[in-house]
Amino acid sequence: MENDKNSQKIVDYIQNFARKHSIFVLAYGTGCGAIEIPATMTSRYDAERFGIRGAATPRQADVLLITGYLSTKTLKRVIRVYEQMQEPKYVMGFGSCTINGGMYYDSYNTINGLDQYLPVDVYINGCMPRPEAVISGFVKLQELIQQGKAENGKKYRENLEHYRTNQKKIIKNWRMPDYNW
Amino acid sequence: MIREKETTLYLGPQHPGITGNMMVKLKVQGDTIVKAATHVGYLHRAFEKLIERRNWIQAFTLLCRFCVPEPDPMELTYARAVEELDNREVPERAQYIRVIVMELARMQSFMLWYAGQAGSAGLYTLGQWSVGDRNYLLDLFEDLTGGRIYHMYIWPGGVRRDIPEGWKDKVLRTMDYIEKRLFDYNQIMFDNTIFQKRAQGVGIIPKDKAIEWGVVGPPLRGTGIKSDVRIDEPYEVYDKLNFEVPTFEGGDIWARALVRKEEIKQSISIIRQAIDQMPEGEYYNKVPNPMKWTVPAGQAWAKTESVRGEVGFYVVSNGTNKPYRVHVKGAAYTHGVTVLEKILPGQNIADVSFIMNSLGVCPPEIER
Amino acid sequence: MNELINENNLLKKVATAYNIKGNVIRDRRVEVFANKELVSSILLYAKLQLGYVHLAHITCIDWIEEGDFELVYTIWSPVERIHLFVKTRINRVNPEMENIDGIWDQANTYEREMREMFGIQFPGLIGEHEFILEDWDQIPPMLKEFDTHKYASETFFTRPGREDAQDVRETLSKRSGTDVPDFAKKYSRET
Repeated sequence: MENDKNSQKIVDYIQNFARKHSIFVLAYGTGCGAIEIPATMTSRYDAERFGIRGAATPRQADVLLITGYLSTKTLKRVIRVYEQMQEPKYVMGFGSCTINGGMYYDSYNTINGLDQYLPVDVYINGCMPRPEAVISGFVKLQELIQQGKAENGKKYRENLEHYRTNQKKIIKNWRMPDYNW
Repeated sequence: MIREKETTLYLGPQHPGITGNMMVKLKVQGDTIVKAATHVGYLHRAFEKLIERRNWIQAFTLLCRFCVPEPDPMELTYARAVEELDNREVPERAQYIRVIVMELARMQSFMLWYAGQAGSAGLYTLGQWSVGDRNYLLDLFEDLTGGRIYHMYIWPGGVRRDIPEGWKDKVLRTMDYIEKRLFDYNQIMFDNTIFQKRAQGVGIIPKDKAIEWGVVGPPLRGTGIKSDVRIDEPYEVYDKLNFEVPTFEGGDIWARALVRKEEIKQSISIIRQAIDQMPEGEYYNKVPNPMKWTVPAGQAWAKTESVRGEVGFYVVSNGTNKPYRVHVKGAAYTHGVTVLEKILPGQNIADVSFIMNSLGVCPPEIER
Repeated sequence: MNELINENNLLKKVATAYNIKGNVIRDRRVEVFANKELVSSILLYAKLQLGYVHLAHITCIDWIEEGDFELVYTIWSPVERIHLFVKTRINRVNPEMENIDGIWDQANTYEREMREMFGIQFPGLIGEHEFILEDWDQIPPMLKEFDTHKYASETFFTRPGREDAQDVRETLSKRSGTDVPDFAKKYSRET
């Protein structure tokens, strides 16, 4: 049974309201930016009043927080973790290394821009971002969820070929499960 | 007769209990570990190759990010190695300021250690208190240097700018506040039967093999051997300050936690003495045109006492304005790979995270 | 001088036992130069007879013009508190060095890293080949002939800069209407 347009709007509003006030962040510190995450989650800059808390496994998480640079070895594990998360799922790029490579732009082991390999919703710039900047990034993500524009899980599924070609260019030994759920 | 067969478990990069982004591959029989292997490389940025492309002063932007929870000892050791090559004197006021910055860095790193060590035993309250109070120390850093975590404040020849007005009083007030709070932290952690039963007798490093295995820092002082770079090879003004180096017998997690508990109190006392004794004067022995500064050819080895142990820099110069080779030794290089693989067999799976936190394993230091 | 008595004694003992050269750099730093065949014997002698039980560091330096690698072994004694550097040179093409895994266990980690980063072979070294890098198919990356900037710009995507990216000094002086101040003109890479 399909809803008509007005009641679909109400259903969407309630659904997005519930989603934006309970964001579970995966416990994975991928780079040097992970040092400001304990400070954001504890008493002074309390992120839990927004509904943000940590989750232990990818199947229980909503947001993958890429804190800083990614080496090619970590990128392989991050892709596998990202594909295990259930939709709707969001990716936040943290720090200037996800935007254009940052200070490791000439290193042979770090990638220079996260956008080519995973779809990103919100970038937070800084090196590293203060806890206030992190919380403002989460607030922007909440606005995107409320407006219904945070659909990057679907975008990844539809443009899988494009992302796979980019990923296989730098990950040479490709032995990963297919993405078919 | 062994009834259970061996399984391989990957305590992998994404795990809430592991300190940082590394993997420990365990072979287990039931719940007991039979063999352990450390796999690193998830955080490799090729620092030593990148430093060869920057000049002597630009390398400071890269150096802070070697070991993320404690960036200041790296800057100080590099600055000391370059001063030894260049034969550059440091004024006395700058030396006192450097000592205060190092001890503040030690304290804020121990506050983060409280959260990790107690959190892996299940005592989550302590993490909320100590990381919340750590922000007061980071406020002090922000007044002095402009940044919370990465400072780039200690340069070869002194420090970058003088201390602002009113900073000394603020430091003394923060020390008084933290000294009162330490009583609460220690009561939760050390008077707690859960922590005592989990920590005593677990993860033992034998005393007669400790120095051979390359153990340094608080784990070495937890086996009963008194060894600290600040008294073995005093640098800056540590020989004028009055402090003790605590040692405890046992070699297990309990002894190492007691060592760190006493060291915070010693740091508070050092900071108070240094503020008292600090003279007026210059704070920087100026380098002429830092972008084109050349250092005479030679090789130097400098070491300091960081939070986890001894940190050493081997710096090679060939007379140009870029370093020829910089090789870093962090304390976690031996603790995280050799020592961990030797003391894990025989322990339970649940104790792996506990042991790693007490040894102070920090993966960015292992693979730079 | 009083402090250098221990250092001179140490240098005399090691230099006369092996007939090699060395010098005292400053207080608490002594270096000796040896051929690569004598290195493990000197380290074992220092560890067992002289009390130098702590292996601090093993470094490898790539001297590309002279055509060899320089290996530096740093050891330390907790009683005398002196660092002894044992320095040796090995050939840069097909480099090979003895494995000192039996003397100190942590040398295993250092040697695995040098095998991966510089290509030095240690016969008898047991350990997985991949320590830090994964699926690496170029030359060992710490050699001086490997150009990391070129490799990074070819392999990874580079985001182009903004079209209106200007020099910071000119933008600020235009915005505020004043000239570029003197202190901003001096410390520049061109002048």
